[in-house]
Amino acid sequence: MIDLLSTHYNYLVFVALVGIGLYAVTASSNLVKKVIGLNVFQVGIFLFFVTSGYVDGAAPPLVGHGSGPYASPLPHVLILTAIVVGVSLTAVALALIVRIYDAYGTLDEEAIREVQLND
Amino acid sequence: MESVALYAALTFSVFAALAATFLRDVLNAIIAFAAFSFGIAVAWVLLAAPDVALTEAAVGAGITTVFFLVTIAKTVRPGGQRLVERVEWRSVAVVAVLVGTLLATVRSLPAVGAADSPVATSRVTEYYLQNAYPETGVENVVTAVLAAYRGFDTLGEATVVIAAGVAVLLVLRQEAYV
Repeated sequence: MIDLLSTHYNYLVFVALVGIGLYAVTASSNLVKKVIGLNVFQVGIFLFFVTSGYVDGAAPPLVGHGSGPYASPLPHVLILTAIVVGVSLTAVALALIVRIYDAYGTLDEEAIREVQLND
Repeated sequence: MESVALYAALTFSVFAALAATFLRDVLNAIIAFAAFSFGIAVAWVLLAAPDVALTEAAVGAGITTVFFLVTIAKTVRPGGQRLVERVEWRSVAVVAVLVGTLLATVRSLPAVGAADSPVATSRVTEYYLQNAYPETGVENVVTAVLAAYRGFDTLGEATVVIAAGVAVLLVLRQEAYV
């Protein structure tokens, strides 16, 4: 377990972030905090990807200045795209939350469920 | 030295994420989330991914935080008596299943930074590193791949952003928000 901490620390942090994100999504009754949880979950997966492209002592993939080893550029490209898509999703989710608040007067999951039952 | 800084940045991020999850006041949680994004952006720099770090700092710590702040300004901000949330044990059980499953696989992954890892030695990586500059004239391989080799993917990404913008406008249009 100790050697795992020194050689696989990034992957352990990935597992921790994914766990924290899932906890925030399932346990928080506040909708805004659920979206925060989604973002944490997503960043955990980004960490997995970026770590997979990293090589010890590697330079950023800017070729033409000195010689390698370089980090693999492919995970970086995928994650750049994913970050932008993630912020778009967050924006739509938060817009829906504003409308939900407008309709129900609350952002608490349990309270929204009660209002729905009473209608 | 580099690796000490990386450990520090990642550990800081985990604690900031925990704070964002357990702080009861949503404004506190948002501030903790911004700190989390900052810690992760530092980790990207140390993992030799400066492009991702810039995007994370601008988008993750910047725009996303602004969106969250606008949202709580338009809605409520449940404060309260307690500083932290109670632990929800049913969620802990679900999370334990996921974390346990993932932890079982961590040992099979190559060590962080191993030069012989499948990604570092893959033909795709080698092709991009060797040919990106001669073929596109762009020194930054990440930019070359993003804008040239996978340009259609980036078009798809732009389409997603447009679609999200249209969706936000449609959702909020009937109210006095926009």
